Amino acid sequence: MIIVANKTESKKWDIKEAKKLFQEYLEKGLEEEKKEAILPENTVKIDDLNKKQTLERIYKLTDSIIEMIYENGRPSIKMPSRTSANIIWDEENDLLLLGQQIMEKHFHSLGSVADITRLMKVLEKVNELLLKDMHATKREIFYSAVQLFGDQKNSDKSIEDVATMLYTTRNSTHIVASAKGSCIGRLRIRDKNDIIDLEGLGSGGWTISPMLDNVEILESDAEFILVLEKDAAMIRLSEARFWRKYPCIILTAKGAADIATRMFLRRISKELRLPVFTLVDSDPYGHYIHSVYLRGSKRLSYESPFLATPDIKLLGVLTRDLEKYKIPNDCRIPMNQTDIKRTKEMLSEDFVKKNKAWETDLKLALNLKMKAEIQALSTFGFEFLTDQYIPEKLSTGDWI
Amino acid sequence: MIKLLKIFYKKDGGIVQLIDKDKMKEWPIELPLIFIEYVRNNQLKVYDDPKIKKEIEKYLDEVLTDVAIPGLIEVLDGDNFEEINKALVRIEELAKKNTDMVKPIKPYVEKLVNKNIKEVNNLSNSIIDSFNKAERKKELAEKRKIMQEKEKSFLAGNLSGEEYAKARKDYLVLKE
Repeated sequence: MIIVANKTESKKWDIKEAKKLFQEYLEKGLEEEKKEAILPENTVKIDDLNKKQTLERIYKLTDSIIEMIYENGRPSIKMPSRTSANIIWDEENDLLLLGQQIMEKHFHSLGSVADITRLMKVLEKVNELLLKDMHATKREIFYSAVQLFGDQKNSDKSIEDVATMLYTTRNSTHIVASAKGSCIGRLRIRDKNDIIDLEGLGSGGWTISPMLDNVEILESDAEFILVLEKDAAMIRLSEARFWRKYPCIILTAKGAADIATRMFLRRISKELRLPVFTLVDSDPYGHYIHSVYLRGSKRLSYESPFLATPDIKLLGVLTRDLEKYKIPNDCRIPMNQTDIKRTKEMLSEDFVKKNKAWETDLKLALNLKMKAEIQALSTFGFEFLTDQYIPEKLSTGDWI
Repeated sequence: MIKLLKIFYKKDGGIVQLIDKDKMKEWPIELPLIFIEYVRNNQLKVYDDPKIKKEIEKYLDEVLTDVAIPGLIEVLDGDNFEEINKALVRIEELAKKNTDMVKPIKPYVEKLVNKNIKEVNNLSNSIIDSFNKAERKKELAEKRKIMQEKEKSFLAGNLSGEEYAKARKDYLVLKE
């Protein structure tokens, strides 16, 4: 049996570089509060609306449909196209946005009649939810008219179409995704009339509510936010009470980033003006997850300004860390063909090409043809992640 | 644009951020008081820096006088008895724990004692009772302090037996 030496040093790191970044963000955040972010002219403006404003938009839309019926009896609905050709990367704000291509759906066309009927059903449900001040999941919307939707894919598409049609975010329509992510650390929030202390909820933390319109930040003395790809890493940091030694807020979406987690991350980082670091597996999927937090996904590009967290730093696990920390070969996993293809796809993205350090790390991954999970670090002891790897990187500024 | 969070700077470069009081104006009326109580009881002890503790105490006082109390007064002075009832329940809880916190509302609660709604009446009386108890407790503490001083003077021979007996009698009457 081979016993690997425990490399953990249980000292308190000064996390100097992370603190420097925190001071920068604080100053920058205070400056930016004075000015609004300006989006490029060739993109569509999407607004995060309250209940009353969303209802107003629904009534305005239905009024225009009624008018068309009176005028020529052939109503239609216009909305921004969500095809990849209409997705624009806004370099200045580092966001994926919707362009100004508009598509039209006709009520009297055989090709779009099913689509339109589903759309109207979702609109009717949104109206009901807003009037009753309730929220529903995508699954519940599907079950509200199973025969009409046939498959949840269709109702999901209609939900996204309705949000685009109203030029608003999906959360503004009160249709939410199921809760998935969790958050723990130095943060106190209000959820309706309850005050929740995210340090006092046991090792599981607070399940990020998809009904974020009910949530408000009350207090925090955190200096940075750490986003983890995996729940296993969350358990490790939670057991170590990492935030007590290093003032931070930790969250995870337990894999791919869901809307509520992304939206919550954006809110806390923006409102608290804190730097954000991601800790993902050293593989193309981990890098992709980081990119979704950073600039949004293509599918939900119309919501990017409300979901993305620009300036987020990739703390690890970097490909270069495999050598730097001498991760043993038996803890590394050879890349398969899909990994190689995905890495190449990532390398072809404009936002990766613009970030030289990121590009270099991905090229190194292609070169080594190796990947590793966050858990590979536990080869040096269970405490290595919390007592050395993360604090050392935060102290030396070793991130992308 | 309403500020979302107010920043308090620590000596070591760290910060504490608290929700801005203007945002609390949109809250249900009982919530600012719950917030003040929460921060005082749970968070203040966590901050190591005495300077920041003092500043936050001062800010919480501002929240009390600028947001919490005016909000409650507006409701108590209004005609919505459902809201009045809700506010009174909360005030009653707080009055039992910390009367000073809700003292500015006393005149408005007193006005409600004569209303012909049983629940409002009971709650108002209970709150007034808490105020009276707290006042009496305060008065008693002051008298006790005076009595202790008189005892010291008597033992030192600076007070006559007659004067001491009179003071003691007054003190016992108040205590009963």
